Amino acid sequence: MKTQPLPLLVVAGLLALPWSLPAAETCACCAAAPALPAAALSGRSIYQLGAIWTSDAGRPFRLAELRGRPVVLAMFFTSCGYACPRIVADMTRIQQTLPAAVRSEARFVLVSFDDVRDTVPALRDYRAQHGLDANWVLLRGAPGDIRELAAVLGVQYKRDAAGMFQHSNLITVLNPEGEIVHQRSGLEGGLTAAAQAVVASR
Amino acid sequence: MKEAIPDPGVRLGELCRGLLLTFTFTLPLTPRAAEPPRGMVLIPAGTYAPLVRDRNDPERVPVAAYWLDARPVTNGEFLAFVRANPAWRRSRVAPLFADARYLARWAGDLEPGPRAPADAPVVEVSWFAARAYARWAGKRLPTTAEWEHAAAAGRHGPVGRAEPDFMTRAIEWYAQPAPTILPPAGAGRPNFYGARDLLDLVWEWVDDFNATLLNGDSRGGSTAGFYCAGAAAGVRDPSDYPAFMRAGFRSSLQARYTVGDLGFRCARDADPAAVAAAPRPPSAPPAAGSPTRFARLP
Repeated sequence: MKTQPLPLLVVAGLLALPWSLPAAETCACCAAAPALPAAALSGRSIYQLGAIWTSDAGRPFRLAELRGRPVVLAMFFTSCGYACPRIVADMTRIQQTLPAAVRSEARFVLVSFDDVRDTVPALRDYRAQHGLDANWVLLRGAPGDIRELAAVLGVQYKRDAAGMFQHSNLITVLNPEGEIVHQRSGLEGGLTAAAQAVVASR
Repeated sequence: MKEAIPDPGVRLGELCRGLLLTFTFTLPLTPRAAEPPRGMVLIPAGTYAPLVRDRNDPERVPVAAYWLDARPVTNGEFLAFVRANPAWRRSRVAPLFADARYLARWAGDLEPGPRAPADAPVVEVSWFAARAYARWAGKRLPTTAEWEHAAAAGRHGPVGRAEPDFMTRAIEWYAQPAPTILPPAGAGRPNFYGARDLLDLVWEWVDDFNATLLNGDSRGGSTAGFYCAGAAAGVRDPSDYPAFMRAGFRSSLQARYTVGDLGFRCARDADPAAVAAAPRPPSAPPAAGSPTRFARLP
């Protein structure tokens, strides 16, 4: 029998930007954002991913811009009729549960699987339909970057022949360093634990 | 005033880098039509029958022609990559991108050593590392559909299963323990397209390894209960045991996992002109009976 992968203990990580982006570049694009902490990213930070997404405001967006804040993140697509609206509703409930100080600090991020249909206007409409406030960030991106983000989050997804997606249902909580500190898997329960993880992550 | 004399080594390094950049950027613009990329074989357009289908999915999905490495990437090749990309050396790789077993059998950061011969396939590499290598090499990882389409070919034709020993050999490989020191890559017999070692050397990463949803369908799912009898009618052909093994294996992976006999090879889109000029194996496999033995669930 061939060996099967096992989740192994990991060694402490060092600074690494394997997508060969100079470290300074992470900040270069984001002059408008508050100055990012200059310290090197943790080896477990998903902000090491160099992808440049596009927000529903049509502006380039790197996940590293979220550094310094707790983040609640999920992958979705706007034409999803069943799971995604529930995920978004659950994220909204997490948002409402948070103490006011944390609520204003936290960001709620939705990244689309659908690089074809989820255009900037489609994301903008989705924001309006679901009444998502200014603390929500809706993103679209290139297929390879979507695949990569899904890989770090542990999200499985597949486009079917009708252009819809099968996908894992996962809400991820990131600490201010961009490390995964909690995941709610499935569509039932777990919201209190997720909200607690957001508070504890600061 | 004395002028600083540049270190010739540095200048040579810069020159090489410059040449490499020039090469990298001009290559895609000036494809030499009939010449296949070195070490790659053309996998002609065809179709792939997904192992598990959703109700919306067709029985077979088209796969465009593409270039595939004729053999898995070796330790020697991977060494060149980590030399050029220090962030991917064993001592430096971020834990987000590879677990603790990354390149574990290597003797050192830049020293594959006796347990990882230069011509043997590199293993214990994560999906991120494989992908970074491919990008560095100006290539990409093949998709599941592409890989399975290539691996479906036998020695004499595009339908391996039509050949008597095809399935037996594939199954035998799964039954063998992995050798401590892997044999050289490329030593196996070529399949119909000229690709070697697809089924009998190491497992291989595919770009969309995380598209293997065996359960947990987001819509309450036609594939839920895949391992139980209930929904198994969505499965293409339960007798294709090796394909099941591969799908199960892929679905068990996380992108940072490194495994003792999991390597990879790269792919590249095929320029249509090059495809037209390349020697062409006999086209589309005949549908030998129905590819689906079981009726699908409504």
